Amino acid sequence: MSRLQIIFKDYQDKISLVLCVVISFFLIFNNDSDVIKKSKVNSLNTFSFLYAPFNWLDNQLFLTKKLEVLSSENLKLNLENQVLKVHENENIRYREFLNFKKRDNFSFIGADVISKGVSSNMSSIMINRGIKDGIQINDPVLTSRGVIGKITSISTNSAEVQLISDVNFRLSVKIVPDDVEGILRWIGDNNCEIVELKKISDIKIGDVVLTSNLSIYFPPNLPIGEVIGIFEKSDSSNKVVRMKLYSDLSTINQLFVVQKGSNL
Amino acid sequence: MSFYLKTFPLAVILQLIFSELLTFNGYQANIMLLFVILSSMPLENNTSQSTINGFLVGLFSDFVLFSGVYLGVSSLVFSICGFWASKVSHNFAFRNFDLYWIAFVHLGIAVYSLFRYDYFFFNDFFLFLSNYFFVTYFTCFVGFLLIRIFSLKEVILNA
Repeated sequence: MSRLQIIFKDYQDKISLVLCVVISFFLIFNNDSDVIKKSKVNSLNTFSFLYAPFNWLDNQLFLTKKLEVLSSENLKLNLENQVLKVHENENIRYREFLNFKKRDNFSFIGADVISKGVSSNMSSIMINRGIKDGIQINDPVLTSRGVIGKITSISTNSAEVQLISDVNFRLSVKIVPDDVEGILRWIGDNNCEIVELKKISDIKIGDVVLTSNLSIYFPPNLPIGEVIGIFEKSDSSNKVVRMKLYSDLSTINQLFVVQKGSNL
Repeated sequence: MSFYLKTFPLAVILQLIFSELLTFNGYQANIMLLFVILSSMPLENNTSQSTINGFLVGLFSDFVLFSGVYLGVSSLVFSICGFWASKVSHNFAFRNFDLYWIAFVHLGIAVYSLFRYDYFFFNDFFLFLSNYFFVTYFTCFVGFLLIRIFSLKEVILNA
């Protein structure tokens, strides 16, 4: 037996660990390469059948509860809609008076979640819509209540959605009625923090958070959540606002993708 | 090795159940990590086998089960846990079974969190810790229940 073989036998355990660690780090540092991105989306796409029975069961278990919530929401929205219709007509009339550019309507593509991913808490999900449905990378994604993320990678029949709960997700937002602009980041559960807000800005608990006009990918005025806390740091000239998302991240099943060009 | 192969499909199904139906505040128990730790214990004299198994299970998890986490993180965590979990002697594991796997769950999720919550680690250490402890104790709680319900201690130590 050669010396090399003896050394290999003696240190077999450690060599295998070092090899596995080196390969793992190689993969981690090459996550942005197109080959890895594509192979990941394709493998998730191929094995999405694994999730199908669990998604079906999930839908069945919570169907009655969902129906109840949707019915009450529908009633509430119908009432709100009546009031908003009057305001809309008034608004259109004023915009015509002042020669403002006409706004387009949004166009949505409905999608089902096919995989929520097995990570210690959700940061991205797979949906059953892809290139053939006209979806593109960076398209905004919403639930019926508000913004929830954006498309990060895409294959023919499926797409990956980066959720707001991803720690790397940032979104330019504004707090109405005062239109104060800031940057949103997730902090845990269904809560987010908005930073870079001017200290002199007038923000109250219950104010609504919408997408701002500054975002490249998100059209303005999409609902996100509402303010639940305001903090001022003595050593900073900025305010920090804590907000609750309208969408519940733990019960996502149906989503809507805003198609590019619909309002951008 | 046969124990590893037999329990792998079960672990995948359990992980899918926990990720799709039994999340808590969006957090999920890491059953695959539990699986790698527990099924590496019978491989006491075959550490390299256990390390490679951990690596392959991690790669499978990253490619097929995971979404949104860096590809390679699970293979890194699972190979380290597979390596150390198979290093301990049968007697030690017999006497300190619970302490043993709980310690490895802490170790595995700590490495995991460093990649998963890297932003919090550098900017908001308290949030990093709260996320880490939440995932760890949820996984430990689920692991504790599974071990008691299916008498996994006897099954593993006799495998």
